Amino acid sequence: MPELGRAALIVCLGLAVYAVAAGAFAAWKHRRRLAESAENAILASFGAALVAAGVLLVALVQKDFGFVYVYEHSSLELPRSYSISAFWGGQEGSLLLWLLILTGFSALAVVLGRRSAHSLLAWTVPVLGGVILFFSLLLVAVASPFATQAAQADGLGLNPSLQNPYMLAHPPMLYLGFVGLTIPFAFAMGALLARRSDELWVVVTRRWTLVAWTFLGFGQLLGAHWAYVEVGWGGYFAWDPVENAALMPWLAATAFLHSVMIQEKRGMLKIWNVLLVVGAFALALFGTFLTRSGILSSIHSFTEGSIGPWFLGFIGIVVAGSTALIVSRLPLLRSKTRLESPISREATFLYNNLLLVAFCLTILWGVVYPILTEAVRGEPVTVGPPYYNFFLNAFGLPLLLLMGIGPLIAWRRASLRGLGRTFVWPLGIALTTGLALLALGAGSSLPGLIGYTFCAFVLASIGLEFARGTRARHALSGGSWLQAFSDLVGRNRRRYGGYVVHASIVLLAIGIIGSSAYDTTREQRLRTGESMDVGAYTLTYRGATQERGANAMELRALVDVERAGDHLGTMRPGKNSYFAEQQVSNEAAIRSDRRSGEDLFLIAEQIGRDQVFLKVLVKPLVNLIWIAGFVFLGGALIALWPDAREQRRLALRYGGREALSRA
Amino acid sequence: MARRASPARLVVALGVAAMLAVFLVYTAIAGGTPQLRPSELNGRTGEVALIGKVVGRVSGDARGSGLRFRLRDVEGTAAVPVVYRGSVPDLFRSGRDISLRGELRNGTFVGEPGTLVTKCPSKYTDKKQT
Repeated sequence: MPELGRAALIVCLGLAVYAVAAGAFAAWKHRRRLAESAENAILASFGAALVAAGVLLVALVQKDFGFVYVYEHSSLELPRSYSISAFWGGQEGSLLLWLLILTGFSALAVVLGRRSAHSLLAWTVPVLGGVILFFSLLLVAVASPFATQAAQADGLGLNPSLQNPYMLAHPPMLYLGFVGLTIPFAFAMGALLARRSDELWVVVTRRWTLVAWTFLGFGQLLGAHWAYVEVGWGGYFAWDPVENAALMPWLAATAFLHSVMIQEKRGMLKIWNVLLVVGAFALALFGTFLTRSGILSSIHSFTEGSIGPWFLGFIGIVVAGSTALIVSRLPLLRSKTRLESPISREATFLYNNLLLVAFCLTILWGVVYPILTEAVRGEPVTVGPPYYNFFLNAFGLPLLLLMGIGPLIAWRRASLRGLGRTFVWPLGIALTTGLALLALGAGSSLPGLIGYTFCAFVLASIGLEFARGTRARHALSGGSWLQAFSDLVGRNRRRYGGYVVHASIVLLAIGIIGSSAYDTTREQRLRTGESMDVGAYTLTYRGATQERGANAMELRALVDVERAGDHLGTMRPGKNSYFAEQQVSNEAAIRSDRRSGEDLFLIAEQIGRDQVFLKVLVKPLVNLIWIAGFVFLGGALIALWPDAREQRRLALRYGGREALSRA
Repeated sequence: MARRASPARLVVALGVAAMLAVFLVYTAIAGGTPQLRPSELNGRTGEVALIGKVVGRVSGDARGSGLRFRLRDVEGTAAVPVVYRGSVPDLFRSGRDISLRGELRNGTFVGEPGTLVTKCPSKYTDKKQT
């Protein structure tokens, strides 16, 4: 069996070499049949990766401890579903998952590209082949998942923090996002290598970027929820290097999704867009490198493996190669049109891009700061959450405001008088909200108050857009209001899907602001029968219980919760002591209030029969963050849904069959 | 080339300038925390982040008088006594690599509450070594 896996990886490597060499030669000499065979090599590489992944999966499910990887990442008592998550529980398996998704996406891009953008594929295939080559080389030569040993009776088990339903979904989602960014990168490079100056690559890759971006965004929220519910320290994001590693490509991709609209509509920002695509891909590689190299001290860094230098080398090649290519193709990338006014839709997109990229770069700066200072001063200096929070406020608040301005402002040139008319309602609503919140005592946090005022502004302007559009459609076609509304969204999926995503970001902002700027934290030792007050809640310690669970001893503190005289129930924060892994884990108790979206979060330490040390957090509106995840997904789906009218329009623009059906 | 003064360039230039300004303001008011190993500490005062391995017996009470232990260079022999009050991560125990912020006072490193972080143990290396 391991031989089959190893052979499949070697075949995959060979196919990738062929796709690069034959593909590049065919594209250079315009050999059509050779180019098709290089495309087929990409398709076949997916088959090979599938076989390799199948071998590892079977070994994991059958608990074949003759595989070093299976021995190190599972055990006899590990449930089957977590045997599957052990696939990405370690370095070699994660890399194999990368390769599997990469070849799968590449094959799909080839199949779809043959129908919609065949002329672009010629130079795209060798680029895809190059990335596949790197990952299969790593798996063949450096980090093989198919190393064997004398079979062992039992394995070492899986890290308990990975034995969790979230870990079945969160890592693969992030990988789907990371790897998905390869496809836009490959098409952009393919277009440049072919010396094309048109927008076809942008049109072809929009959905790919959107899909990758959606997975990346939703995957991060899943991770945040996991941290909140399972890790039990009362937070959901800690600006840890590995968390930042996933956030950076997402920010770059967000900037790209916005700026391509300018290129599509006005033929501007061509160089910028290529840079963003390269940046997003390089940051995705950098993220994998950070997670896997152990170069930075992070609570997540898994191994101090040998693949670090390889990744760094590959990132270097990607950045240097694409920069050289962009520089050599600069004349092709000149804009056809120019920005006419700093007050226009284009300009707000530009501001939005500058802010997103600035935020992304400051995060990158913070992440590499210890490495840089160590190189310069000989002593690593780290920056903590205050650094990131400062820039979240400095760049995030203006971004929030722009989200309300952008959709309402006219293309090309907006008049100040027109602006006044457009914004009178949103401005009025925002000011009223701000004043009302101030009266309610929200002035305790200035960024919080500003943030909420901006949130009201954005929601009002989104609402106004929907209302105006629906009214216009109703006037045009009659029928019911509901019909007019669904027509409106159905005919402009990209636009209104985008607004729904904007609304989800506002919900996210409301949740983040509420739970970080207006939270309450108290710590106190309580004897049995003693009470403490936190916010509107009164908590009383009622003693401890201990029960033997399936795989852990479960110690719980019993805490009665009251609010305004009403008994709300008994919460049971505590600790689990796992038998097999000999680890203790904190089991926080969370009570969510459905109406207000507020959480009461309890952490119990030093639980004894007659006393306990309680840490209590009250987090207003925190549940909006999780709701935002689903709204985000809904908006992304609306924007992704195939749109026949748009395809006809693009077909007219790019002529003939090329754009009739797109990737 | 009469249209050299494009608003786009102006906007970009202003944007970059504004960004730099914000950056300078920030680094002027805050700055980072140096990250040190116990061996590099020798008498240094001021806040630092200390990284090392917990060695010996862990005594005391993190919620009372303070948790007491010694922190040694991950690869080395220099060690420093540490006292820490505040929440302690689940994975904390002797033999684990940790990081915490704080400062040296009278030869003892006094940790700031809530800054003790255990590094994810490289999976089961303890078991593998035995």
